[in-house]
Amino acid sequence: MNDGMRVRIVVLRVLAVSLLVTLGARLWVLQILDGDRYRKVAETNRVREVVSSAPRGMILDDQGEQLVRNRSSLVISVNRSTTDRQRDAGKAVFASLSSVIGMSVDDIEKKIRFCGPKIPQPCWNGSPYQPVPIAKDVSPAQALAIIEHPERFPGVTADLQAVREYPFGSLGSHELGYLAPVSQDQLDRQAADLKKQGKDPEATPGAYHLNSLVGVSGLESVYDSELRGVDGVEGLEVDRFGRVSGTASNSAPVPGDHLVLNLDRGVQATAEEALRSTLDKLPGGARARTASAVVLDVKTGGVVALASLPSYDPSVFVGGVSQQDYAALSDPANGIPLLSRAYQGSGAVGSTFKPVSTSVAMAKLGAKPNQNFDCAPTLQIGGQTFHNFEGSSAGPITLHRALVISCDVIFDKFAYDEWLRDGGLRNGKGPYPAPAENFVKMAEAMGFGARTGIDLPGETSGSIVDRDAAKANWEELKGSYCERAKNGYPDVRDPATAKRYQQYAAEACVDGYLYNAGAAAQFAIGQGQYLSISPLQLAAAYAAIANGGTLYEPQLAKAVVSPDGKVVKRFEPVVRNKLPVPPEVLAYIRDSLHGVTTEGGGTATGVFADWPNNVIPVGGKTGTAEVEGHEDTSWFASFAPVNDPRYAIVVSIPDSGTGATYAAPVAKAIYQAIFGVGRPAELPGGLPPSALPAVGRDASLAPAPADATGGAAVTPGPAAATPPPDGASPPAAGGARAVAPAALTTSPAAATDAAVGPTSPSAGPRAPPAGSAG
Amino acid sequence: MDELGSTALRSSPVALRGRIGQLRDRASGRHSPLRRLDWVLMGAVLALSVLGALLVWSATRQRLADAGADPNDFLKRHLLNLAIGLVLATGAMLLDYRLLRAYAPFVYLGSLVGLVAVLLVGSTINGAHSWIVLPAGFQLQPSEFAKVALIVGVAMILGEKRDSREGVRSTRPGDVDVIVVLTLTLVPIGLIMLQPDFGTVMVLVFVILGMLAVSGAPRRWVLGLLLGGVLFGAAILQFHLLKPYQEARLTSFVSADAASNSTTGYNVDQAKTAIANGGIFGRGLLHGQQTQGQFVPEQQTDFVFTVAGEELGFVGAGGVLAALGVVLWRALSIAKDSDDSFGALVGTGVVCWFAFQAFVNVGMTLGIMPVTGLPLPFVSYGGSAMFANMLAVGLLQNVRLRSRTDPYAL
Repeated sequence: MNDGMRVRIVVLRVLAVSLLVTLGARLWVLQILDGDRYRKVAETNRVREVVSSAPRGMILDDQGEQLVRNRSSLVISVNRSTTDRQRDAGKAVFASLSSVIGMSVDDIEKKIRFCGPKIPQPCWNGSPYQPVPIAKDVSPAQALAIIEHPERFPGVTADLQAVREYPFGSLGSHELGYLAPVSQDQLDRQAADLKKQGKDPEATPGAYHLNSLVGVSGLESVYDSELRGVDGVEGLEVDRFGRVSGTASNSAPVPGDHLVLNLDRGVQATAEEALRSTLDKLPGGARARTASAVVLDVKTGGVVALASLPSYDPSVFVGGVSQQDYAALSDPANGIPLLSRAYQGSGAVGSTFKPVSTSVAMAKLGAKPNQNFDCAPTLQIGGQTFHNFEGSSAGPITLHRALVISCDVIFDKFAYDEWLRDGGLRNGKGPYPAPAENFVKMAEAMGFGARTGIDLPGETSGSIVDRDAAKANWEELKGSYCERAKNGYPDVRDPATAKRYQQYAAEACVDGYLYNAGAAAQFAIGQGQYLSISPLQLAAAYAAIANGGTLYEPQLAKAVVSPDGKVVKRFEPVVRNKLPVPPEVLAYIRDSLHGVTTEGGGTATGVFADWPNNVIPVGGKTGTAEVEGHEDTSWFASFAPVNDPRYAIVVSIPDSGTGATYAAPVAKAIYQAIFGVGRPAELPGGLPPSALPAVGRDASLAPAPADATGGAAVTPGPAAATPPPDGASPPAAGGARAVAPAALTTSPAAATDAAVGPTSPSAGPRAPPAGSAG
Repeated sequence: MDELGSTALRSSPVALRGRIGQLRDRASGRHSPLRRLDWVLMGAVLALSVLGALLVWSATRQRLADAGADPNDFLKRHLLNLAIGLVLATGAMLLDYRLLRAYAPFVYLGSLVGLVAVLLVGSTINGAHSWIVLPAGFQLQPSEFAKVALIVGVAMILGEKRDSREGVRSTRPGDVDVIVVLTLTLVPIGLIMLQPDFGTVMVLVFVILGMLAVSGAPRRWVLGLLLGGVLFGAAILQFHLLKPYQEARLTSFVSADAASNSTTGYNVDQAKTAIANGGIFGRGLLHGQQTQGQFVPEQQTDFVFTVAGEELGFVGAGGVLAALGVVLWRALSIAKDSDDSFGALVGTGVVCWFAFQAFVNVGMTLGIMPVTGLPLPFVSYGGSAMFANMLAVGLLQNVRLRSRTDPYAL
């Protein structure tokens, strides 16, 4: 041993210490300086999310009746993260389960297998940590068999889950809408949106999760974010093999808000029943018959009823609609029950359009209240002869009388003269001055040719065709017109009809760009290919005429109320337009329409003969729209009471007959229900409730969410045992501040504007059913 | 230090006084061998071993439970290994110093027998043919014992020269000694390479280098061997002499891309994640999510440090490093204070061994060293390693007991 060795040992000591210091420094960097970054990795490594859906808010009518609510369903679920760990991968458990719920082991295994490109339904496309629902609506006895023997059913749970319930079946189905599982597309879009905002989609409250149910139609879709609430998310700690070892985080679900409507259940039911019984009385009794009725509050634009037949029971969508059911609901042979004729279909409105023409004549063309016009039996326009209805003649009469007896020729003449002043066909040498097009402009001011803005998706805008639009349409369609002119309509069975269509096509091929005189004249009486109007649009226009000229956006939603009864949002009326018609002209029209139901010769006087006219005077206009290849569409557009209008009602029954025969009695039945004529009133005092209704307790909300997710035993029993809370107290006047209903503008208007069925816009007398036109 | 040889040493007044002191102390019991032990070293070793038992327990309990075995199985085995190790250490400590030197050739030869045996009857675990499976679930890893044997053998050769050669000019090992040492080393290295266990080979190379350097062997040998080692390593990588998984282990810590695409990279990622997850104070024993979630493979052996990192945090993992530091420091003190070169070289060899293994083991869990299957001394689970480590500690104590320098003597 020498000192040299000692020195070298000291050197070695320095080396050893420096090695350890290096390690310590690196440890410091990893654990302290870079710790957060790594901890985040650790988080995603080991935490898997299990989502417990928030109870969805109810949809209530104006008097608090639950139109859509939740009901408790006993659901049996299999938790794959448990059964997969069993020695036989759950086979034994599935066998016992099979004997309890009467589903084959094979079916159970199909339901819990993970969906993939080559795996057909049934399969599970949710998270592997999410219990897979196997059977819904099982009996309490079946659920108890599982709950009481956890040792026999490891990994199987039976608990109460909320599913959508529609206490009134198909009532208002087109408005209420339905739910469907969120699509991958929606999830991707949400992820992209949230990423843009710099948020984590997994951690953002109110975000969709895999397997979330989303409103995809009607109010469920428009007010989805209000109704949906915030899903509870339980972060489960899992090990490398995906086995659950504990809970990292847990957020309880927040129930969604309730939606209170302007819609009244009683009025809606009356409208649907009246339509249905009318359809039942029609000859033929074809299943494909359609009909619709609209009831608006003229002072607010509130939608009191919006009925369309055929309808459907939205409960077919609960738990996923079958392919077969969906096909039936979209089948034209059944009248496409999914489609609402009230706001998604449009057509010619016939004489119910005449108040619009009267407005043009008096406000724009200088017609005087007492001025007489000749109601001749016929009017010659070019090569065509236009007849009055059934060829009747009334001689010189005022516009008031023209409305009462529904003289066509007077209005045809106004429009024809206008057409001439605008330069007729304009096929000679120009230049022409800009056309006045007063009729088209008035129609647009009344809201036709554009969406009303109702808070529903898929609304039609109908169409109003001016000279420019006619030319543009022709440019687009002339190819198909000319092809049809050449090749005919081999697909149309009746040779006579096919030949007529071919003749139309030939004409359209040559001069379709010209603004047709006959169609322009017929515009004034709500006919022809230059207009197509939905019942909702017509009702909104009549509401504006009735209330003195304010065109409101129709609104179904009245308020959003939180589960504890607080008013979250109140929807105030939204003014869309002021009619460019002086008040005295509107008053003149209202008085004339009152005459329709009261004066001798009035087209609806017979229908309203027994009506208490002195108490609730009704103003209305019948319409009988001719539809190529079909029976007439029966229309009645109206408002009441005439002295202080509150409601506008429009009824449309395609393929039936005259307005007075079919539509007017339906409207009358609805008025009876509203005001309580000869029966109890659906609306107390005949007025829409001014205060918000008390919101009752949702039946399914009784069990605490924690019970449902924890897999703890849930006693199946009357879930609504909890007494209802005080409910929503009506807000003090001016207390609840108005909130601009921004939701209305964000409605997903992924609308197909295609009008469907007999009320097709292309079905006017002159419109050839070109291939791409319908 | 005197250069007169051992005979002179025994008769020097200082040594005589020390000797008398020892005898007196032994008689009075105040300075019995038990009291003269390096208790700080012992304390650090015991602390590491007991902490190791807890970490091994935490890492294995869930795995064992999942497999339907006794969750405390590894804990019990680790403690049993520790107990056996302490007995071995006591034995190594009490062995007569001179006898040890005399037996060194037999120890060395015995280790060679073990290494040959493992090639003949051994089992392959994790790609290395390094284990002899014994009845009752025990396994023997001869290469662990080879480390001790080689250290003793090499210390004998390099130290023997120093002590016994006549004349002042020949105090350092000469070329012949170095060649003998290298020859003696190459045999076990060759046998271990056949397994193959490159980690252990690296340990041996590092140990021999360290012992040669400290012994005062000609500088050209030390530098030459260093250079040769570097060239050899480069050649191995350049010509792909290693099996792909071995190469991946070596290179994955350098290249992040390679890391994330290989299982080795996965291991290191999970290890780093676990350690970082601990933060300052850790998640608490048995509460590390990465550990309890079994995300880190081989966690009770090669990656045991990650348990300390995650569950005990910077405080606990730093404590492990500090305890290792204490072990190394005290071991070098023993080497420095040794009366003879043999003791000093044994101490040096043990320190090189422990330091290299600790650095490589911890370094790989921190992502700064390649993944090699080297256990963390005293902490990692493994009977053979524990026994070998404890034997080494026993040798250190033995050296200290025989040292002239005695804090209590003066």
